[in-house]
Amino acid sequence: MEIYVLVKQVPDPEAIVKVKSDSELEIENKYFTSFFDEIAIEAGLKLKEKTGGKVTVLTVDNRRVDALRRGISMGADDAVQIADPALEGADQFALARTLSTYLKDKPFDLILTGRQAMDDDAGIVGPAVAECLGIPHIHSIIGLEVDDQKKEAKVLREVENGKESLTCPLPALFTCQKGLNVPRIPLVMNVMKAMKAQIKKVDLASLGLGPSDVSPYIKIEKYVPPPKRPPVKMVKEDFPQNVKTLVKLLREEAKVI
Amino acid sequence: MSNDIWVLAEHHEGKVKKITFELLSAGIDFSKKTGQEVAALLLGSGLEEAVKSLTPFADKIYLMDAPSFTPYTSDAYLASIASLIKEHQPSILLGGATSTGKDLFPRLAMHLQTGYAPDCTGLSMGEDGKLTARRPLFGGKVFAEMAFSEARPRMATVRNNAFLVNENPGKSAKVISVPPHIDPSLLKKKVTGFEKATGAKLDITEADIVVAAGRGIKAPENFKLIEDLADVLNGSVGTTRATVDEGWRDLKDQIGKSGKNISAKLYMAFGISGAIHHVLGIGTCKTVVAVDTDPNALIFNYADYGIAGDLFQIVPALTEEFKKALVADQ
Ligand SMILES: Cc1cc2nc3c(=O)[nH]c(=O)nc-3n(C[C@H](O)[C@H](O)[C@H](O)COP(=O)(O)OP(=O)(O)OC[C@H]3O[C@@H](n4cnc5c(N)ncnc54)[C@H](O)[C@@H]3O)c2cc1C
Ligand SMILES: Cc1cc2nc3c(=O)[nH]c(=O)nc-3n(C[C@H](O)[C@H](O)[C@H](O)COP(=O)(O)OP(=O)(O)OC[C@H]3O[C@@H](n4cnc5c(N)ncnc54)[C@H](O)[C@@H]3O)c2cc1C
Repeated sequence: MEIYVLVKQVPDPEAIVKVKSDSELEIENKYFTSFFDEIAIEAGLKLKEKTGGKVTVLTVDNRRVDALRRGISMGADDAVQIADPALEGADQFALARTLSTYLKDKPFDLILTGRQAMDDDAGIVGPAVAECLGIPHIHSIIGLEVDDQKKEAKVLREVENGKESLTCPLPALFTCQKGLNVPRIPLVMNVMKAMKAQIKKVDLASLGLGPSDVSPYIKIEKYVPPPKRPPVKMVKEDFPQNVKTLVKLLREEAKVI
Repeated sequence: MSNDIWVLAEHHEGKVKKITFELLSAGIDFSKKTGQEVAALLLGSGLEEAVKSLTPFADKIYLMDAPSFTPYTSDAYLASIASLIKEHQPSILLGGATSTGKDLFPRLAMHLQTGYAPDCTGLSMGEDGKLTARRPLFGGKVFAEMAFSEARPRMATVRNNAFLVNENPGKSAKVISVPPHIDPSLLKKKVTGFEKATGAKLDITEADIVVAAGRGIKAPENFKLIEDLADVLNGSVGTTRATVDEGWRDLKDQIGKSGKNISAKLYMAFGISGAIHHVLGIGTCKTVVAVDTDPNALIFNYADYGIAGDLFQIVPALTEEFKKALVADQ
């Protein structure tokens, strides 16, 4: 099977992120490969181990290729970086157009992405790439089995009141959710090797795309700090009076019950 | 161009979900500024009860009746909705940030080549009709105000409890039956089964009240205490990654960065230390209560009310106290 995994290097959830101005954030320099993208890589590797074939990791990033190196260290065969100054200011739709243009003449059976990237939390790129390629997609999968002969996937998806099982013909795109697997931790030796691995670099011109093909549909107009909660009110009376007071506060002050 | 505000109605077992009424209420508010009409988009079959409950909330209901809409797949929904949008050219299309909304909207937006703001916690409409969407980034460490390009419709999915349901919507919708656009060759995905979650409770993303416990609960069977409290409050039970990793609770109930974002009116955390990964999931809850034996637990930094105490003492007493208070109300 030919499997492509779309990956992104993002600030670690523990990184400090602050609003610097209306148009700028201050982000602590602590990055990791987006949690759900590692799950997607692991899913690709597991399938490859079963059916043979190849896993390629693919990113659009003008600066960081660490997510690709993470992929290689975990076992991916190939890595591709799409970078271009014209992508500055791109939105998720522009990225989807870029990624799908790269993918459209590749022999893929399966494309895997994260449920959402752990920075913008948008969850747009995956389904939008599938639309551009005209292949089916399923969002937020927690189970995956592939019948390589029948070119069909059996998928488990999380919905509000339970779990849905679906079948889907390949090629298809799935976005991966926690629960699908536990990503392997690469061996130090492989991490070293990945540092030196060759990464293919592609620009927009070689894809036949120009700046107008990556103009955004949505734009961040302004960053704002999160609404501040007032300081906590500690109920300091002894038990059981504290419980009575808390119930009273919730009913009469917060009015939530 | 009709300029209308459309809301994709979501329903489960024939009943329209609360998020749909919240979004229609927001639509009614916006329409007062710009004179647009508000329409609900209803796909499925056997939806008499849904039509009835939506009627006071919209000027129009576009009803597409076909069995292949239930259960949802994007294959069936996308073409039908896209062709209706092309015909009527609404100005705005809203949906819930639900498993359906998150599956359908990004793909539909790409199909229509229009802007989509996902997982919003607020929307505002200027006098000039400009729509601004507010959404959390980095799990809520910052928020972004998003603007849309000229393309229409402007699309957004919105979390629960971002808007109040209008008590007096005052509309009386005209029902417009629309033939669905279903090309059987495009129905590629097939839903082959559904495993209903145990318990009749709402998903934690949909519940107004979420009661949660973390590792401080010490053993899986002790969750009974938390469930009893949730039952009295008609709430749902959430948890942390710690208990999910222990195998005590199901992943679907995990709140936080690698779990779910919740927007409950009341969130109560018992024996939860307040790791950043966890509290990122509760940033848009209205009122937060924390109980932890450690008076310095980080969770208190994110709470409105706190008690430094033993959950095994406090939870059963709270259950009794709420029971008393709620009985007195009746
Ligand atoms: C070169 C470049 C310049 C940018 N400039 C700006 C800017 O000026 N202003 C601004 O607001 N934003 C900018 N962005 C960010 C961009 O708009 C998106 O926010 C972001 O890259 C993808 O969106 P997301 O994180 O919300 O993805 P989601 O839609 O949440 O991602 C879902 C999944 O899609 C895949 N995916 C996402 N992003 C990529 C990627 N880059 N490469 C490969 N796979 C991916 C992953 O599998 C991920 O799990 C830029 C991005 C790039 C790459
Ligand atoms: C990439 C990544 C993603 C993650 N995603 C998530 C996520 O989505 N959600 C999540 O929750 N975590 C997540 N985590 C884990 C997170 O960092 C914490 O480890 C976890 O939230 C801790 O869970 P806890 O509060 O239940 O346990 P602990 O941190 O062990 O806290 C238990 C608390 O119980 C208190 N306690 C003990 N006994 C009692 C008693 N009798 N009465 C009252 N209080 C008592 C203790 O004082 C303590 O504060 C993630 C971590 C990583 C690295």
